[in-house]
Amino acid sequence: MSQFNFPSIQETKELSILRLEVRAFLSKAIHNNEFKPSPDAWVFSADPQFSKKIGAQGWLGMSFPKKYGGHERTALERYIVTEELLASGAPVAAHWIADRQSGSQLLRFGTEEQKHLIIPKITSGECYFAIGMSEPDSGSDLASVKTKATKTNDGWNLEGRKIWSTGAHLSNYMIVLARTSPALKDNRHEGLSQFLVDLSLPNISINGIEDMTGQKHFNETLFDNVILKKDALLGEEGKGWSQVVGELALERSGPERFLSHFTLLDAFIGEFRNIILKSGSNLIGKIIAELQTLRRMSFSVASMLQNGQSPETQAAFVKELGNKFEKMMVESLRELSNIIPLHQWPSLLQDLFEDATLRLPSNSLRGGTTEIMKGIIARQLGLR
Amino acid sequence: MIHELDIILETASKIFSKYITHELRYDLNNNNQNLMKLWADIEEQGLTKIIVKENFFGSALPFNSILPVIQMSAKMGVPLPFTETIICNYLFSELNLEPPNGMITFALDTKNIKISNNEISGDLLSVPYLNLTNQITLIQEIDGIFHFIFIENTNGDLKSRKNFLSEPRFDLSIKDCKILKIQKLSLDINFNNIGSIIRSAQMVGSMEKIINLSIEYCSQRVQFGRSLSKFQAIQHQISEMAVELAASNAALSSLQIINEPMLKLDDIAILKIRTGIAAGKLIAISHQVHGAIGFTKEYELSYFTKNLNSWRNDFGNETYWQNILGKSFLEKTNLSLWEYLTN
Repeated sequence: MSQFNFPSIQETKELSILRLEVRAFLSKAIHNNEFKPSPDAWVFSADPQFSKKIGAQGWLGMSFPKKYGGHERTALERYIVTEELLASGAPVAAHWIADRQSGSQLLRFGTEEQKHLIIPKITSGECYFAIGMSEPDSGSDLASVKTKATKTNDGWNLEGRKIWSTGAHLSNYMIVLARTSPALKDNRHEGLSQFLVDLSLPNISINGIEDMTGQKHFNETLFDNVILKKDALLGEEGKGWSQVVGELALERSGPERFLSHFTLLDAFIGEFRNIILKSGSNLIGKIIAELQTLRRMSFSVASMLQNGQSPETQAAFVKELGNKFEKMMVESLRELSNIIPLHQWPSLLQDLFEDATLRLPSNSLRGGTTEIMKGIIARQLGLR
Repeated sequence: MIHELDIILETASKIFSKYITHELRYDLNNNNQNLMKLWADIEEQGLTKIIVKENFFGSALPFNSILPVIQMSAKMGVPLPFTETIICNYLFSELNLEPPNGMITFALDTKNIKISNNEISGDLLSVPYLNLTNQITLIQEIDGIFHFIFIENTNGDLKSRKNFLSEPRFDLSIKDCKILKIQKLSLDINFNNIGSIIRSAQMVGSMEKIINLSIEYCSQRVQFGRSLSKFQAIQHQISEMAVELAASNAALSSLQIINEPMLKLDDIAILKIRTGIAAGKLIAISHQVHGAIGFTKEYELSYFTKNLNSWRNDFGNETYWQNILGKSFLEKTNLSLWEYLTN
């Protein structure tokens, strides 16, 4: 049961210095009105100009090799930076996916040419990625994807539809999971491949989908006979499934799984600190206990990634616990509103609360549902 | 030190598995030969003095190295005041007193205590394993200063507590009982904090066992023509327990890298809160997936869930610690929550 262990990693002095550097940069940016802290900013709040500024600070592609424009810093250093960005509610959605997972995927499986072309732009905050996994008929059952890539004389022909691709409308690339050969009867994971698709190619249409908050951040992307070059195949033909699984550890274990609505918590406490102290210390204590535990777990996973381990199960633990925490946190604030009715809160705080409440259902869907996380854990326990 | 700890764990595991059966746990008295042999082996191998100083013949390992040992003893369901004795010996040693031999227990709380002429009277509350030992330590505030007191009960009025515990608990009324040792507690020792840490480590060990039992049972039990573990509803229930254990483990391991247990009040609070929450969930879920068999005395599960019930209430429950933790932050008005968390 070693997957249950999260060895404690301490934040070194060097990491704390980096943390304060990032924090100072962000508070200056807020002070200069470069951005307004917002909730769920890694999904909803995209600002390419700001992404470039972060890139210029050396805070993107932090762990990437220097020869591709990266900074060869550790996963722990990257963790510190992402935590600070999330806690401040900075507009990081544009570059988030590229920096978090697509860049690493490209470094592992891309050609030299692709790496030299794309990685430096990810690092400078100019190149953005979308995830091409879900389809209208394939959500949790990802292995059932129908998007198909057919081999041609000089490359591939891509045909199909991807959905819920966050930020595809402002992305340069999408890593598409497609079927390259029929599924084997006893192993549907065979015959899937990943493709690096340049979204500026002809025959691709990206249509925004309004979510229940009224915003368009995710999309349906149509590939209608898109002609891809040979080297668009990312990694090995037919090994797409295991490549995707590796990517998901990066996608699920980070602090965005529990800091999405930190701006709300922070603003709430800022407004009502003295009142809570009188009658709500208990709930704040519970929130702190859960949050600190999650931070330790996520930081521990970062160190596993740094050591070259594949913590897919640990990532599922972080995501599952993080999703639960955020729901509990918002519910606790609601409970505390018995003292001052919601409609009497300052309007900015009301907005944050309403945003969080509306967006909460998506937390435990995006990046894999609760049910999928529990399934992964059950498999590790030998139950499936 | 790591190597030394590994050897200790291996030794402990061997001794525990040599004697412990589920039947043993329900026959806790001084005439039970296997129980007494188990204790004799534990003591002979120095397991009760791992964190006792060398001049008192201890292994002198740092305080937190005891946590994996305590965790393992709870996982294997050691039905003896093993943890209690370890902690009492530690207090003796830290106060530069020679620890006595044999089992020692402690009072979780006291009431109506009067001390005069080196004699003590009053009520000792919720004392584990008084059926096996008369040696008791207690912490008592006298004139605003906490004192460590050691007594041997000879003719106190013993009341077995009607409660939900697996380990025996008693309330004891003593009258003019001779004080064998009394000493001011140094400021860096906080009994309630130590108690919270060890109870949390015990809970983590018990939860590991409970999950193992649940997996084992659900894999073997067949209903509707297939084993329970093949039902997704059951898989998800067990996964939920695993998530809770993982969080508790993370909270515990953060204490294991610190060698000074008395300074990190927030970490102790987080640990007791997190394991307490997890314990509540595991009790409910594990019994649910076990069905009626888990509700019997004959089957092992209830021994472990009853212990969880006991330990999550000792030394302050979740709400107690949540209030402390919440206040600890809210009162530092110069710090934002993020500054506090990353401090």
